[in-house]
Amino acid sequence: MSDLDNIALDPSDFSACLPLKKVPHGDVFEASRAGDVTRLKHLIDRGINVNSRDQWDSCALYYACLAGHLEAARMLLEHGAICDEHTFDGDRCHYAALNLKVRKLLKAFEARPPPLGPLQGALRDVFLGCVANSGNLDHLNALSNPAGNSFDGGPCSTYFKPDVVFYVQGRSIEAHRVILSARSPFFKKKFETDWKDRTEIRLSREKLSYSALYCLIHFFYSDRLEIAVDEMEDLVRICKVCRCESLKRVLEKELSHQKYAEYKALGDVDNSQKRFIMQGLSLPEEDRLPAALQRILEVSLANSTEEQNVNSINGLSSQVTSMQMSFEEDLADICIKVDKKLFRCHQVVLASRSEYFKARLSRMKDFLEGKGGLPDFTLPFLEEHDLSIEAFEKMIEYMYTDTLKDIDPDQAEEMFDAASRYLLFPLKRAVADVLLPHLEMAPPAELCHWLMLADMYGVLKIREYCLDIMAYNFETFADSQEFRALLLTLPPPSGDSSLRTTVPSAPGAEATMDGGNILDDLREKWLEAEAAELDKRDESALIFDKRLEMLMIVAKREKSVNHNGDN
Amino acid sequence: MSAQKKRNFQIEAFKHRVVVDPKYAEKTWKILEHAIHEIYNHNASGLSFEELYRNAYNMVLHKYGEKLYSGLVATLTSHLKEIAKSVEAAQGPSFLEELERKWTDHNKALQMIRDILMYMDRTFIPSTHKTPVNELGLNLWRDNIIHSSKIQTRLQSTLLELVQRERSGEVINRGLMRNITKMLADVGYVVYQEDFEKPFIEVSADFYRGESQQYIDCCDCGEYLKKAEKRLNEEIERVSHYLDLKTEAKITNVVEKEMIESHMQRLVHMENSGLVKMLVDDKFDDLGRMYSLFRRVQTGLTLVRDVMTSHIREAGKQLVTDPERLKDPVDFVQRLLDEKDKHDKIISVAFNNDKTFQNALNSSFEYFINLNPRSPEFISLFVDDKLRKGLKGVSEEDVETVLDKVMMLFRYLQEKDVFEKYYKQHLAKRLLSGKTVSDDAERSLIVKLKTECGYQFTSKLEGMFTDMKTSQDTMQGFYAAMGGELADGPTLVVQVLTTGSWPTQSSTPCNLPPEILGVCEKFKNYYLGTHSGRRLSWQTNMGNADLKVTFGKGQKHELNVSTYQMCILMLFNNADQQSYKEIEQATEIPTPDLKRCLQSLACAKGRNVLRKEPMSKDIGEDDIFFFNDKFTSKFYKVKIGTVVAQKESEPEKLETRQRVEEDRKPQIEAAIVRIMKARRVLDHNNIVTEVTKQLQSRFLPNPIIIKKRIESLIEREFLERDKEDRKLYRYLA
Repeated sequence: MSDLDNIALDPSDFSACLPLKKVPHGDVFEASRAGDVTRLKHLIDRGINVNSRDQWDSCALYYACLAGHLEAARMLLEHGAICDEHTFDGDRCHYAALNLKVRKLLKAFEARPPPLGPLQGALRDVFLGCVANSGNLDHLNALSNPAGNSFDGGPCSTYFKPDVVFYVQGRSIEAHRVILSARSPFFKKKFETDWKDRTEIRLSREKLSYSALYCLIHFFYSDRLEIAVDEMEDLVRICKVCRCESLKRVLEKELSHQKYAEYKALGDVDNSQKRFIMQGLSLPEEDRLPAALQRILEVSLANSTEEQNVNSINGLSSQVTSMQMSFEEDLADICIKVDKKLFRCHQVVLASRSEYFKARLSRMKDFLEGKGGLPDFTLPFLEEHDLSIEAFEKMIEYMYTDTLKDIDPDQAEEMFDAASRYLLFPLKRAVADVLLPHLEMAPPAELCHWLMLADMYGVLKIREYCLDIMAYNFETFADSQEFRALLLTLPPPSGDSSLRTTVPSAPGAEATMDGGNILDDLREKWLEAEAAELDKRDESALIFDKRLEMLMIVAKREKSVNHNGDN
Repeated sequence: MSAQKKRNFQIEAFKHRVVVDPKYAEKTWKILEHAIHEIYNHNASGLSFEELYRNAYNMVLHKYGEKLYSGLVATLTSHLKEIAKSVEAAQGPSFLEELERKWTDHNKALQMIRDILMYMDRTFIPSTHKTPVNELGLNLWRDNIIHSSKIQTRLQSTLLELVQRERSGEVINRGLMRNITKMLADVGYVVYQEDFEKPFIEVSADFYRGESQQYIDCCDCGEYLKKAEKRLNEEIERVSHYLDLKTEAKITNVVEKEMIESHMQRLVHMENSGLVKMLVDDKFDDLGRMYSLFRRVQTGLTLVRDVMTSHIREAGKQLVTDPERLKDPVDFVQRLLDEKDKHDKIISVAFNNDKTFQNALNSSFEYFINLNPRSPEFISLFVDDKLRKGLKGVSEEDVETVLDKVMMLFRYLQEKDVFEKYYKQHLAKRLLSGKTVSDDAERSLIVKLKTECGYQFTSKLEGMFTDMKTSQDTMQGFYAAMGGELADGPTLVVQVLTTGSWPTQSSTPCNLPPEILGVCEKFKNYYLGTHSGRRLSWQTNMGNADLKVTFGKGQKHELNVSTYQMCILMLFNNADQQSYKEIEQATEIPTPDLKRCLQSLACAKGRNVLRKEPMSKDIGEDDIFFFNDKFTSKFYKVKIGTVVAQKESEPEKLETRQRVEEDRKPQIEAAIVRIMKARRVLDHNNIVTEVTKQLQSRFLPNPIIIKKRIESLIEREFLERDKEDRKLYRYLA
């Protein structure tokens, strides 16, 4: 391994030295073998399973490694391709790697936390944050997101209190009812009947293996199964009981495969070291975590009520009680009132997705809300102001499922606000993705508006997009009144020419964009767009600044005229 | 709020409106400032988290982050200043309690403020590179409270005073102490170090310096060590109860340095209670304490070891050179063994079986045992004594342990070949006189010697055993062959000894009585008949005989005597009176042996089978001997011992010595030849060291003798001197 240490991966390594063949109609295996990054990206965006095997039992990453396409391999790895040396597929990739650089890349990804979606990642952190669970599987623990811990300075930062504990073979697993119910009909039924009021459940069946159950519950949270091959048969049995049919099918298929699997890279791999890793993508969509939570959400939303007169607390509480009587199967443990609607939600999901809700939920007693004292009301209750019902609905939909469906561009602004406010930063990107196609048709006035919003809420994608458009069509914008009005509200560009970057920023470099002065950034874009010679940049910049000054003078005049007109 | 819900694509839409209100920021900050006050006043339950968060969020969103942040700093600072005042005002012992209470409050408030301002913490602070809220709160606490001029020194002196009070036996509030030191560490480890740890270490050093001085003047060593150990444990316990774990190494270091290191010499050499006294009195507890304490100090164990070594050497030297002790070899060796046992026990019980101590003990023994040139002889005598009678009725394991101990002493010997010489003699005597208690024990010792020194060392000893065995068989064969022929003659038991294996002194055989001579001749014929090409010579000085004697009153006794004595007594079968000269003529026994035999026959009380005239202790040339008719004894069997010096007499000693030296010569020469054969050319010094190394397991050769041997080898043309470099020798094949 020491020879790997001497190898440095430069960005230049990732671009191929020879022009690569394009495979415009190839599947993921063909695209990986050819190193056709564009095709691969397209396929991945369509949501194909990067870990599937072809008729020769090979996965896409294997072809990329074999052919030495670093960029293609990285793309696959970033989207969850399995490279753990102790798995069959990972072993093949390590063994087949064309050169040491490919191996280095594989090693680097092996040491990183598995790439998971924001929802899966957040729930996984919650699961591992539970005291009883963290002791297991040290390697997973070591990988657990260090950024999450650094803020609170304690290991409990991702901790959110579990509401059920299983005792198996003398060890315990902490979990949250709602997640288990969402993933397995068996647990759902149990929590509605036998285990309804129990927080401690002792499972004493002899055949039930602790580590297999742990792996399964970990899978329920993270949509990623990582299990020793030796344990797989136990897990198949558990799946049968829990009625996780699709997972069971995958496991059974893999079991028969593992019988003949030969591991090569590590020499003699002990059977107990062999592992099997499965990403949620390998399952049909309706059996993945987002879909499961979606179902839960649908039930909860159906149970949430909107009432016209919830002004009096008494009315509210009676309504709440009646709600509780009739719908208990949604397992909601918190009520949130937005505008006039009461939403039934799940603390674990809210807290794991949003720092705000986590603080809010753990601070229930310290502030006014905790004293709100609704009699006979067992569910905790929160009220959120300054937010529309629709926006909140969209937001919790995102929180539960990691996806946004059919969002109205009109809603986007409020969604940006909600995303910032509830510290749901990935939501901003999701909204931006929905919004972008719409912006292509937008008039200059609207783009000005979006630029301002994007700057305020820190939506880089939109901000970048607007600035690009403005720079390329500067004169068109200069003619619009809205743009001139916008100029007045912005802080003036920095006059100090030393702050200007004389070198055009590399495409995709984001660091310079963070919270910078809008007009400075615009000037930079404009200089790029005008493609001025490098040595003339300073002159061009001066021209641009003068132009801005003039525009501002015009704007001021217009404003005063408007003002007078209003009066 | 509903106004903001109107959404259309204007520049001023949605929340942008709030910015229009120029006093917006001011108003919102007032709300938040009020909330912070309330939180500090424990009135948070009247506040709405959601509203406060929303306000803070909006402020940051509309670019008032800077205002919010600076406002926070100002508000926190003013609160902390108030807290500082109330802490300063606290009197006496309530000072720390107040501080602790305020710290808890502050922490709790800080958490709440942090949660309210979470949006700022997440977005504004990282992008402007400011200090996060939590850290800011701690820093402000440090600057305003801990480093406040009125608190800093007071806090420090209060803490140190509390520690001091605990050291003098008072009970203090450890929980409080723990919280305060934890506070210091939370605020920053540097603060803990600067404001507490450093002065604490200094004060402790002063304290222990004084205390140790006081103790050492009035306590003896054992007591002092007890106190030091107690203090050390106290400090370790203190750290575990209320100090940072990193302090442990530092504070124990102070105690070690002040209480142990600086008084080490004095403690060890303390008269009447120091190390030597402890060793003499077997004070295991004190010694163990000394070991565990001194081990913490760098040169501590070396000092203990050195003192112990010199003590053992001194004591041992006295033991081995004490002329009184030399009189009884068995007692001498027993004392050595006791000494060794004693120190072994000390090392295993008190010194944790420390290897370096064991080595020191071994080297000390090696040193003083070899001071006495007679040690090998004594050890062999001790074994002889044990194997003759000492081990009668002792279980096998005990025999083993005794033998093992002897082997231990044997290992210390430098002149192992001398031991071999003596051991051979003693073994021969034991075997020939049939005095061995246990054959197993004998063999087991030989096996031990073999593993220690190799096959060569014991081959002759083993040969002796084989001879004994074959002799038995030969005798059986002899009697079977002769059958009835010998029925009425005396019974003869012959032991055929291989020349070279046995320590034979060449002696002229005496004249055997005719009765015996006949049997002997028969045996000789038989033996030479079965084994051709061998020569038998009689060692009459080593045999013994049983005689049946009838005394005056018809009393019958069986006398067990040596062969010489038998020859003398047989003369009295024919005459009741013999003069010394007549006896000498008839038997031809060498004069010193004859004198000794007569002495034991005539002068030993209770064993005086002969009468002598004149009656005196010594044998004169003119003495006349009579058969003592009046001899009586309670026993039927009477053993007439020979008066032998158990230890060697002076001339014998010289003789043995000479023989040893003589034996060494071929060994040294063999070693030289072996070395030179391999090396071809070597200079003098290297030969000497190599030879010494090779022969170390047997004896320590004297360089002068080695030189002589080299010269002899040159004479015999095994080696030659190099023609140019006279120091170089060459091997001549």
